[in-house]
Amino acid sequence: MLPENITAILARNETWTGEAATEPYEAGWAREAVLFVRALKTPVGRQPEAVIEISPDGMRWLPEGSTLTMPAEKDGLAVARITHFGNWLRLRTQMPDGAATTVLVTLHLKA
Amino acid sequence: MLNAPPTDDLEATLLRAMRLSNPELSRFEPLRRIISHDDFSRGHCGWSQLVGNYEDTLDSMLPGYAQHTSAMLSTLGHWDAGSHGGVDSSYALKIATRPRPGAQNVAIKRLAMRERGPIRFEAYVTFKPEATELKLGDTDVRSFGFLFDLQGGDRDHGVERVMPHMRFLNAGNGKHVQKWQFKSQLSEMRKLGDTDKTATHYHLAPDGWEDLPNGDQRLCYNEIATKVNWNYIRFDFDLADMRATSFRCNDREFDISGFEPMRIPAMKNLWCMLNFCFFAETDVAKRAFLYVDSVCISGDF
Repeated sequence: MLPENITAILARNETWTGEAATEPYEAGWAREAVLFVRALKTPVGRQPEAVIEISPDGMRWLPEGSTLTMPAEKDGLAVARITHFGNWLRLRTQMPDGAATTVLVTLHLKA
Repeated sequence: MLNAPPTDDLEATLLRAMRLSNPELSRFEPLRRIISHDDFSRGHCGWSQLVGNYEDTLDSMLPGYAQHTSAMLSTLGHWDAGSHGGVDSSYALKIATRPRPGAQNVAIKRLAMRERGPIRFEAYVTFKPEATELKLGDTDVRSFGFLFDLQGGDRDHGVERVMPHMRFLNAGNGKHVQKWQFKSQLSEMRKLGDTDKTATHYHLAPDGWEDLPNGDQRLCYNEIATKVNWNYIRFDFDLADMRATSFRCNDREFDISGFEPMRIPAMKNLWCMLNFCFFAETDVAKRAFLYVDSVCISGDF
């Protein structure tokens, strides 16, 4: 049997301002994850760092340690590689005042 | 069925014995041909996110679809009791809404039909709100349900797009309703782009649902937000005359003589479409979760 491998879309065409995060995603079956962020439109203002977060229950979150910088251009990509994350994953960021971006966030999981 | 070999007594006896002795199939009652049998211990089994139609820009996607996210494989891990697990494996498909009143999410399996005859849709499912409060939460989930999206072949006469919808209306505005409903009322169909090939309608809009006669049913919700019990649902539909023929949930067989699917003029790109969806809807600012332990889709051919 080939190992499982799934692409999940965590956010599609969502415009992020202020505190922003993807919906929680359960991936306990996967040993590794790669998360991409693509800016679907030209971002506005300074683009901040975003952090990968993990959780014991999908409700309370801690930084996993991986970070990425939100793309500064339309169709720009950012990536984080993640291992050893337990079950829950999400991406969170804090957009500065006046900044905004419209994102496609994809998660690529492999058993 | 035109192409089906005659079912003889030996085949019927063998099929029955083999299925009853197979623990994975024994809890289903499939028709002669198993079209798919998904237990989610082998991945997502073809159940993907229902993405809305769009042309030129994603901004043209209706908000009802834009809110959808990808289904996930879950062990039903709870903060207080750990992984609940499925009927007989660790994993179930999880369809989660966003945490705002009325939010919905849908997972879909897309096939095409070989024969126009009876099909059967069976599943073991359960639903819960996210356990963000130390409360029962039994009126937090508004509804869960399933729908088919069907269209006959390009050489058929009088083809329509037919969409049977069934939901369990669990609650509304804090009231525990607990009844089965169907929907035949159409939502507005909007054209997309300028090629006249794509259109969209949000058929899960909250209005237009009708009660299934005698369709009230109290399900096993259990006593805290992190205990679940798996419910059996079975829905039979005849693709020859595009009518529902039977519906069962756990121990109750319902009269569906009044059930009507949505009927829409045939669309340009959907010939022989055989799609199946599960959906969840929250009534409060809390995520609603629909878990699907296993699904068996079968046909009489």
